[in-house]
Amino acid sequence: MNACNDYQFTRRRMLKLFSASILGMPISRLMAERIPGQGHAEHVVLFWNSGGMSHLDTWDPKPGRKVQGEFNPIKTSVPGMEISEIFPQLAKQMHHASLIRSIAGTNGDHGRAQYELQTGFSQSPNILHPGIGSMVVHEREPLGDLPSFVSISGQPSRAGYLGQQCEAYYVGRPGEKDPYLAFPEGISHARGMQRLQVLERMNAQISGRLGATELKASETALKDAVALMESPALKAFELNEEKPQTIARYGDTEFGRGALLARRLIEKGVRFIQVNRGGFDNHGNIFNAMRAHGNAMDPGIASLISDLKANGLLEKTLVIVLSEFGRTPRINDGGGRDHWARCFSCMMAGGGTKGGTIIGASDEDGMEPAERPVKVHDLHATICYALGIDLNKEVVTPQGRPMRLVQKEATPIRELFA
Amino acid sequence: MHAKTFILQTLAVVAPAFTVFAASPDFVDDIQPILERNCVRCHNAEKTKGGLRMDTYKWIMQGGDTADAIVPGNPAASELLVRIHLRPIDEGVMPDEGRALDPKEIVLLNAWVKAGAPWPEGIALTEQKPEPVKRVSIPDRTPESATDAAAILDDILRRENEESGAIKTRTIDDLVFLRRATIDLIGRIPTVSEIREFEAWGNDRRVKLVDKLLVHPRFADRWTIFMADMLRVRSNIEGGNQLLAFINKSIAEAKPYDIMVRELIAASGRANSNPAVGFILGDDANPMELAAATAQVFLGVRIGCAMCHDHPFDDWEQRDFYDFAAFFGKTQKVGNQRMGTVYTTEGSKMNVLWPPEDKAKPEEREPVSPRFPFKNIKYDSKPSYLIRFEKLRAQQEQKSTEGNDAHALDSLLEAVNPTAGKKADPVLREAEKESRLLNVHGDIYRTSELREKLAGLITNPRNDFFARAYVNRVWAEMIGHGFVEPLDNFSPYADLHHASTLDFLSREFIASGYDLRSLIRIIALSDTYRRAPLTAEIPLTVRENSERNFTAAPQRRMLGEVLYDSIVTAGHLKNFKWPAGANMKEVSSEIRVPTGEYIMAEAEASAPEMATEKPMLRNDGYDLESSLKLDFNSILTPHEASELETMRKESDKQIKAREMAETQNKEKQKVMKYTIKTVTNTVDDNPRFDSAMRMASPAPPAHFLRVFGQPERAGLGEFRDPSSSLRQQLMMLNGRITHEASRVGSLEPIHRLLEKDKTEAIVHAYWEILTRLPTEEEKTFALSILSKDPHEGMADLRWSLLNCNEFRFIP
Repeated sequence: MNACNDYQFTRRRMLKLFSASILGMPISRLMAERIPGQGHAEHVVLFWNSGGMSHLDTWDPKPGRKVQGEFNPIKTSVPGMEISEIFPQLAKQMHHASLIRSIAGTNGDHGRAQYELQTGFSQSPNILHPGIGSMVVHEREPLGDLPSFVSISGQPSRAGYLGQQCEAYYVGRPGEKDPYLAFPEGISHARGMQRLQVLERMNAQISGRLGATELKASETALKDAVALMESPALKAFELNEEKPQTIARYGDTEFGRGALLARRLIEKGVRFIQVNRGGFDNHGNIFNAMRAHGNAMDPGIASLISDLKANGLLEKTLVIVLSEFGRTPRINDGGGRDHWARCFSCMMAGGGTKGGTIIGASDEDGMEPAERPVKVHDLHATICYALGIDLNKEVVTPQGRPMRLVQKEATPIRELFA
Repeated sequence: MHAKTFILQTLAVVAPAFTVFAASPDFVDDIQPILERNCVRCHNAEKTKGGLRMDTYKWIMQGGDTADAIVPGNPAASELLVRIHLRPIDEGVMPDEGRALDPKEIVLLNAWVKAGAPWPEGIALTEQKPEPVKRVSIPDRTPESATDAAAILDDILRRENEESGAIKTRTIDDLVFLRRATIDLIGRIPTVSEIREFEAWGNDRRVKLVDKLLVHPRFADRWTIFMADMLRVRSNIEGGNQLLAFINKSIAEAKPYDIMVRELIAASGRANSNPAVGFILGDDANPMELAAATAQVFLGVRIGCAMCHDHPFDDWEQRDFYDFAAFFGKTQKVGNQRMGTVYTTEGSKMNVLWPPEDKAKPEEREPVSPRFPFKNIKYDSKPSYLIRFEKLRAQQEQKSTEGNDAHALDSLLEAVNPTAGKKADPVLREAEKESRLLNVHGDIYRTSELREKLAGLITNPRNDFFARAYVNRVWAEMIGHGFVEPLDNFSPYADLHHASTLDFLSREFIASGYDLRSLIRIIALSDTYRRAPLTAEIPLTVRENSERNFTAAPQRRMLGEVLYDSIVTAGHLKNFKWPAGANMKEVSSEIRVPTGEYIMAEAEASAPEMATEKPMLRNDGYDLESSLKLDFNSILTPHEASELETMRKESDKQIKAREMAETQNKEKQKVMKYTIKTVTNTVDDNPRFDSAMRMASPAPPAHFLRVFGQPERAGLGEFRDPSSSLRQQLMMLNGRITHEASRVGSLEPIHRLLEKDKTEAIVHAYWEILTRLPTEEEKTFALSILSKDPHEGMADLRWSLLNCNEFRFIP
C-alpha cells in the first residue's frame, strides 16, 4: 500500500486489492514496487526557494561578463567546478553534489511557475496536480511513526487529486513543539487518555450501528492521531536535544534550524521534507539580499550534506535546492534582477547521484541553455527515477480521470546517477 | 475465492431480477447495441484505447495490450467481463467514461461470452450515440404548495427507482430532522431553546421549522459558503471580498439566481462600486478562462476541455469553444496604478482569434464573432412552468423601479451618504456635483454589450442547462449525491440518473423565479430528505446503490465552517463564559521592538511569499482556530465619490511627480531595524469565538477550516474533500476551541444545573451537543465520569461528545 494515510480511499483500495488478487487482473500496479534499474534513494529533502533565485549569483557564475554582478566565483572541492562566493561551506561539499545549469523553464509568472516546478505539470482547469512531495509519499510506504511528508516554514504544493491524506504535515517554526500533538494545557496525560477511552466507546456505538465506511475512516484517523501523539519519534521535532555547537554549525536561524530538523526527521524515516524559504524575488538590491541568503543557506545545507554523509544516509537521501525560475542576467536600474525562466540552475546531492557532475551549460551570459537543455518535467522524472518510482504510473483521480504522475515526455537525467 | 464465484456473487446481489435473460442472447438484438453504445467509441480503427479494437470479431479476439478481451466460454478469464464488473469507483472499470452498464446489460454480456461469444460473420460495429436518458412522466399541474411539490417529487423519484433494487430506509424522527435541517439550512446545530420551541409546535412542525430557517439571518451566511465554493471566491484577489459580500447580500435579499448570475457575467467596473465584478476579475478577465468557467459553473458543461483540442469525451469542437469565448473577447482588465485600483471594462478590439495560436501564423488569424453553442429547448405549446415564470416576472418587474445608468449612479452616491436625516457633508456634495459631469459608467467602465447578451442567453429559462446545473448542486449539498457527478459535468456521456426528478425540480425552480429558498423548501419538505442511513449489516454494494438512488442517507460530514459554528454553539463560546478575572494567566509572546536604528531595506522584507505563504501565527495558540469576521456592510459601501475626487484633485503632472519621488525613495529606502523580544503578560484567558461563516476565505493554510476541507478555490472542478485526516483529529483532540467549548464556565446554564442535579446536567449536555436525550446506559456511564469531580467530569464528557462521530456527521 502507499504511504498516504489512506482514509478516503480505504474502500476503493480495499476493493481494488480484493478484486485484483482474486481475479489476477493486469489492471494496474497496486504495490509501489521499485523499478529495477532505477535508483535506490529512500528520502528527499527539497529546499524550496520561493520568488525565483538568481542562478548567476549562486550555481552559475559568469566572471568577467557584464552580467556578473557583485560576487566572484570560488573554487570548490571539484576541480573545474566554480560556484558563487556566497556559498563557501557548500563549495567544500560539491564532490557530493551535482549542478544542473540548463533548466529551460517556460513560465515567468510566480504562481504558474511554482505550480509547474513543484508538480511537473502546467496549471490547467479541472485538475489539481499533486506536488512532488505528495507524489513521493503516495508511492512509498511510511517508515516509522512520523508523517511521511513534512513541510517546514511554509506550504508546499497541495496533494491535489491524491487527496488530503497525501498533504504535508506542516511545521510552522522548526524546533518549536506543535501544540496539536499534546493534550491541551491543563489536561494531564492520564486524564487525556481517559477521555480517549470515553470517546472510543461513543464512536464504537455509532459505527457499530451504522457501519458506514466514512465513520470507520474517521476512527482510523483518530487511531493514527493518537499513535502519533504517543510516539517517541516525536522527539525528532525538538531541537533542544542537539548540542548548541550543532545548532550553531547549521546556523541559528529559521533556515538553519529547518535544515537540522530535516536531518533529524530523515533519521526517523520521514520520506519527504520540504524546507521553504522566501525572499528571492529580488527586483532591487539583489546583492545585499543574496549575501544574506547565502549566510543563512550555506551553513545549513552544507552541514546537512556532511552530516548525512557521516552517518551513511546521504546515499539514500536526495537533497535538492530549487526555485521556480532564475533571474535576468541584466542588472536593472534598481540593482536588482527580474524574472528569468528561460535558463536557470538547480543543485542535487546524494540519493545515488554522482557527486561533482555538471549537467548542461548556459551560454556565456546565462541567458539560454547552451548545452543539454533540461525541461522542468525532466526534474520530476529524475526525482522519481532516483527513488525507483514507476515513471509510467497512472493514478485514477476521484473524478475518474486517469492521470500520469509524471508526464509522458519527461525523461530522467540518467547521467546524474552512478 | 475464485473469480467466477466473485462475479456470480456480485450478480446475485445486484441482478436477481434479470437472470431470465441469461439463456442465450441474440448478438444483433442484445449484444451489438451494448457494444456500439458503450465500447466502440474508444475502441475502433481511429481510437484504440489500451490497444484494443472492438469493431470486428477479428479485432476483439486479438485482445488488448494486457490481456484477452474475450475468452469464449469463460467469462472469468475474459478481461472485458472482469472490467465491467468493477464498480464505478474502482480503477480500470469499463466503460471508464460515461454511463456504467446496468445489471441487465452485464448479465447479457456474461451469458453471451459463456455461450462462446457467437458473432455472425460480416458484422462490423460502428459507434452509436448513448441511449437517451430514461425518463418517467411528470404530472402537468401546478403544485398547490411546497409540501405538494415535495410529494410530487417523491412520487417521481419512487417511479424512477422501481427497478433499482435500492433499499429505502425508515423515516428519521422529527428531532433528527430538526438537527439535519438546521445544520443544512443555517449551518449549525440547534440550541436548546430552539429544540424546546420545535417540540412545542404541533403536527406541522417540520413545515414551520423550514419556514423559520429560511428566513433566519444565518441562512444567507451558510449559503454564501455554498455559492463561494461554486464561484471560487478568493478574498486575496482583487474584488474577492466584495464579491463575497455581494453574494451574501444577494442571498439575504432573496435576489433571484438568474438575475444574480446576469449581474456577475455582465459586470464592468471597479469592485468598490460594482461588487459583482469580482467574478470577471477572478479569472483575470481572460476570455478563455472566463468562457471555460462560465460554461462549467453555470451550465454544467465542461466546454473548457475544448480549449486546446476537440473534446475527447464529448461532442464539443474547438471552434465551439472559440465562438463561445468571443463573448468575453473584448473584456479588459485595467490596472490603474494611479489610484491603486483595478477594474474591468469593454475594449473595442476582439481578442479571440481563429484559428488557434498553435495552428496558424499570426497574420492568418481572424477575429471570432460570438456564437452561443447551446441549444434552447423547443416546444409546441408553452409549458406551464414557463407561463408561471413569465407571470411572476411580470409582477416582480412591475413592482421594482426601473433602473438606468443615471439612476444607478444616484443610488450609489446616496449610499455614500446614507443617513438621509443628517446634514449633508459639503465635501461630498462637491464630489457629487463633479461626478455628475463625469459619466463613470459611460466613459471609464464601459458596459459590455457582448457579456450582457451572453448573460441573457445563459439565463434564458428555455436554456435547459442553467437551472439544472444549479439544482443538481443544491440537491447534492442537502442529499449527499447529485443526479450527475462530478456535479458540473452534464455531458451526454455522463451518467445522468433520476432525470425526471431533476427535470421536475428544475422546472419548479424556474417557475419560482429562480428562488433558492423555494428550491430548498421543496427538497427539505420531501420524504426523500428524511431518509435514515442504512445499518451496519447491509452489504457495501447495496448501500452504495441505495445512497445513489436517494433512498438511504449517506454519512455526510459537516462542512468545516458548520462544524466550527456548531462547536461555538454547543460550547457557548460566543459570549464570555467566565466572569472577568477568573482565568488570569501568564502568556509569553515574541514581539518586534524598534531599535531606533535605520538600516538599508533588505529585499526579504518585501519579497512575496507565494507558495510559502504561512498561516497567521500568534503565540496564544488560537491562531489556527480564529474566526475574524469581515464586515460585509462596510465592504459594500461604494467609494465612488472619493475615487472621483482623487481624479479631480490630481493632474497628470502632479501624479507623475509623485510617482518619481516614490521611486527615488524606494531606491535608497531605509527602514527601522527591529529586534525580537520575549514579553510576558498576565492576561484574562476568557476567549470568545465568533462564527466562521464570514471569514475572509479561503482561510490560511493549516487553519481549522482548511483542515476540514475548505477548498483552495483556485481551479475549476474543485470540490470539498470530504475525507477524514489525521490533522483533523489532532485539531479536534487538542485544539483550543474544543477545549474551551468543553470547559464548564461559571456563566453557563449547565454550571448551575451541575450544582443542583448531575443527571439533569448530563441530559442537558446531550440536548445541547447531540440534540437528543441520552439513553439510560449513557446516563449511567456519564454519571460515572462525573463521580469524582462534577465540573471536570462534565468537561470530559462534553469533550468526548464534541469529538465523537455522532457530533461531526449529519444525522
